[in-house]
Formats: sequence, structure tokens, C-alpha cells
Amino acid sequence: MAKKEQTFKWYVLKQKLVPYLFMLPNLIIFGLFIITPAIMGIYFSLTSFRGLGDTPTFVWFDNYRDIFTDADFLAAMWNTVRLVAVTLPIVFYVSLGLAVIISKELRARGLYRAIYYWPVMISFIVVGLIWQWIFHDTRGYLNGLLTTIGNWRIWETALFELPLLNRIDIGPVRTLRSPTFAWWGVVFLFTWSRAGYYMIMFVAALLSIPPALYEAGELDGANRWQKFIYITYPSLKPARLMVFILAAMEIFKIFPHIVQFTGGGPFDATMFQVQYIYEEAFTYRNLGSASAMSVVMIFMVMIFTGTVLLLSRRGGEE
Amino acid sequence: MIRKPGIIVYIIATVIAFVFLWPVLYTIFSSLKTMSELRAAVPTFLPQEWTFEHFFDIWDRGSWRRGNLARYIYNTFYVAVLSTLLAVLINTMSGYALAKFRFKGDTVILLIILATIMLPLEVIMVPISRVIRFFRIYNTHWALIIPPAATPAGIFLMRQFLLKIPDDLIECARIDGASEWRIFLTIIVPNAKPAIATIAIFSFMWRWNDYIWPLIAISDSNLYTLQLHISTFGGEYRTNWANMLATSTISMIPMLIVFLIFQRQFVQGTVETGMKG
Repeated sequence: MAKKEQTFKWYVLKQKLVPYLFMLPNLIIFGLFIITPAIMGIYFSLTSFRGLGDTPTFVWFDNYRDIFTDADFLAAMWNTVRLVAVTLPIVFYVSLGLAVIISKELRARGLYRAIYYWPVMISFIVVGLIWQWIFHDTRGYLNGLLTTIGNWRIWETALFELPLLNRIDIGPVRTLRSPTFAWWGVVFLFTWSRAGYYMIMFVAALLSIPPALYEAGELDGANRWQKFIYITYPSLKPARLMVFILAAMEIFKIFPHIVQFTGGGPFDATMFQVQYIYEEAFTYRNLGSASAMSVVMIFMVMIFTGTVLLLSRRGGEE
Repeated sequence: MIRKPGIIVYIIATVIAFVFLWPVLYTIFSSLKTMSELRAAVPTFLPQEWTFEHFFDIWDRGSWRRGNLARYIYNTFYVAVLSTLLAVLINTMSGYALAKFRFKGDTVILLIILATIMLPLEVIMVPISRVIRFFRIYNTHWALIIPPAATPAGIFLMRQFLLKIPDDLIECARIDGASEWRIFLTIIVPNAKPAIATIAIFSFMWRWNDYIWPLIAISDSNLYTLQLHISTFGGEYRTNWANMLATSTISMIPMLIVFLIFQRQFVQGTVETGMKG
């Protein structure tokens, strides 16, 4: 009898352990490769660690003082903030627009959806390469096209004598050697490569809006635009929040897109935070200050996400 | 009630499709052009003269940069497959624990998993580089296989999916005296096939296209993955564009094939990982 009781107790104990055992592999990996590094990062940020054989020595907040007086880091940070501010609304509305098109009863809808989603499958390195090739300043398709148009215009104005048009000079541009072009090139590249992904999130939300809402709207005499503003847009709130935060985080940590596309140049025009941190750590071996930069970056992302969540809970718009 | 879309919608949709499709096709066609055509100031969309020479050149180890493409493809494939197998196994296990058990600390664990979403690799890459050295997996493929296999998105996707499996099924097996591991293998895994497929496909894509993990963990060029290889081709003016375009085309092809076969899972997966992760 006693033995039976013992086996039962043993069974209960085992049953209690089971879920932990199932969780174990994941928790070990999270613990060793996410939580531990995060804590180590905070520790490194307070030291003058230089990697390799160096032992970290405490310098307390010197790294933080230094990075906030480092003009190049501040420039990279400001550049990242500007990129988020510009790219986020573009990606957001482009993917929403794509989703609206895809959710219509198009013939060959699956084909359109597949084509819009297709760039998501291509690695960021190759995406960068594709656009670098198109924007190449002496062999690129863009400049080839501009040259062709320019030549054609001379021929045309000779025939029709259009002095005004003649003043506008169309020809090859400096593409990725121009800081402005390269910066907007990054905005474009990111949108091109990621819009399809966020589109899918919107599509799912669009298709789950009950048709009865639209019928009611129609009875009230709402036109297409009004239906979109008063029915579609408000119904999308959870999806909008999701896309907004995920896309923002992705733009904050932009890096592999740039590596092949511009490499951070020209003149640091496309130098963003992650690349700056990477170079600080692995090119200049300042692991301490690179860690401090990472901590600053985490805080930036957290403050941003927190603000967005707070505003959305209050019922405000993003 | 839903109106049939007019011709204008089709025109807009087609123009946009063109914007997404054209650059990729242009790149692929460029890799089939001859050297002199690649140098042309005004390039054409299609090659005037089709050639596969660059696709032969890139395999040659001696001709440029001493690269060994076959090896890089093998490395990438091997890492992607192993990491995917591990990801499927451990994410299914965790999803099962979170969906079908109530235990002390389960909310804490959920919170930890949520917190890891806020800590992407990009912000912890400096300490990670020390951690992988500490465990002596720096410059080994294990660093590309094990750490990325645990994904919050995978766990949430699996948990959400397994919540739909009736508890009775598991209880019955338990009464029949099946061990927990056996229940997992014979009841949970077969019932979770769609979610497993989604995790597998995404994991394969992430590992195939990954750049930052290999960048941090690998310095020996024999261990390079395809993306790392492509990224080391060098600056714009020293670049051998013919080989670069051909190599990129090769790196895109497996993903496009996977995509054409598993399109439905991709769409489903994006919705679910996005919403839940």
C-alpha cells in the first residue's frame, strides 16, 4: 500500500516536471544567447573592454559620456531616427494600399499576391545588390534610361522648338555617389523589399471585417471613400498597431540592406546605428562603447514602442 | 455586394506587379549577358546575346577571389537544414508545454519570450560575439545552427495552433499509460503538421538568407555561407559584376522554388507569426 502511494507521489512529481522539460531546450537557448548577452551588454557598457585578451575594467558611465559627445555616433543616430520618420509612414501606407488592392475580387488574385510578396523571399544582401546594379552610375539601367530620354529630347525639341522643355536637362545622375540619392535609395529599397510582408498582415485583417458592416454603410448612403474611412480603417486598428511597431523596429535595426547597397556611404550618408555599432565593436575593437551604444539603442526602441502602445490605448492615432 | 473591380484597379495592380517583378528579372537576365554587354552605358532588359559563361566561371576556384562556391552552397544548405530540424523540434515542444500544461511560472516564461522579441540580434551582437567564443562555437557552424533555432515567433505560432487540439485526446492517451514523450510524438506532432510546415519553411528561409549571424560567428572563409560570400565581393569599382550577378541568381533560385511550392504556408505564416509574435 505504502509503495503504491509512493509511486503515485512520484507520478505527480513527474507530471509537474514535464512542462518544464518540454520548455527546457528553448529556455536554455534564450537564457544563454539572449538574456545573458543582454546583461553582459549592460556590464560591458560600463567598462573599457577591448575584446581578445583584455579584461574589462570599470569606467562607470564614461562610455555613455563619450558616445554622447561623439559627433559621428550622434549623426548615425539622428540619421536612423530620420530614416524611421520617413520610411515608416511610406512602408505603412504602401503595404496598406497593396492589401486593399489584393483584397478586391481580382482575377488571378493569387498571382498578384505572389508577385507582391516575392521580394520578401530575397535576402537583404541580394536586394541591395539588385538595386545597386540598377542604380550603377555608368552601367545601370536607370542612367541608361535617362541617357536615352535625354537624347530623345534633343531630337524632339529640334523638331518642335520647345524652348521651355529644352531648359530641363535630362541625363545620367550621380546615383549612389550622391548622398541624397543614396539616402532616398535606402527608403525605396526598404519599402520595395518589405511592403509585401506587411501587406499580408493587413490582408488578413481586411478579410476578417464582417461584410454586414459595409452593407450597413451602404444603406446609410456612404460612398466608397467614406466606407474606407469610417469602416475599413477603424476596423484595422490591431493590424495597424502591429505593422507600425514591427516595421519601426525593423527600420531601427536596418543594416544588411545597406551592406551591399551603399556600404554606409557616400560620406556616411547611409550610415545608420547598427552599422556604426558593428564597426565600433569589430573594426575598432571598442567593445565597451559599442555596448553602450547598443544599450542606448534598446532604450530608444523601447521608448518608441512604449509611446506608440500608450497612445493607441488612449484611443489616439499612431 | 462586393463590386467587381474595374479596369483601373487591374491597371494599377499590374503596374505595381511590374515594379516588384522587373528588378529581379532584370538582374537574372543581366547574369546571362556577355561581358561587353554588361559594360554598356545603355543596358537592355533582355540580353542581346545569351550566354551561360558566368555560371560556369563562378565555380572555378582559381579565377577570382579564390572562392569556392560549391562549398558555400553546401555550407548554407547544411546549416539551414540542421537549424530548421532543431527549430521544429524545440519550438513544437515549447508550444506544447505552453498550450497544454498549466505550471508555476508559465506567465513568467511567456513574458521572457515576449521580452526576447525586444532584443533582436542587432542590439546584442557585441556580447553575443563573446558568448559564442566562451562556448567555443566561434568559427563553427554550430553557432549558426543552435542559437537562431529558438524563435519567439515559432513558439507563439505553435502554441496558438496546439490550443485547438482537444484535451481529451491527450487525456485518453495518458489514461492508456502512454509516456509524455510518446504522447508528444504520436499525438501532438502528427496533429501539428501545418504549424510544423510553417515553422520549417520560415526557418529555412531565415537561415538561407541570414547575414548577421554568419557575419558575427564566422571568420574562416571555408565556413562562409552564400550571403557572406556575396557580401565580400568588394567595392563597386573593383567588383566583378558578372560573377556577382550570377552568384546572386543562384542564391535566389532555391528560395523562389520553395516559395512557389509553399506559397500558402508563407502567407498563413506571415499572418500568424505577425499577429502572435
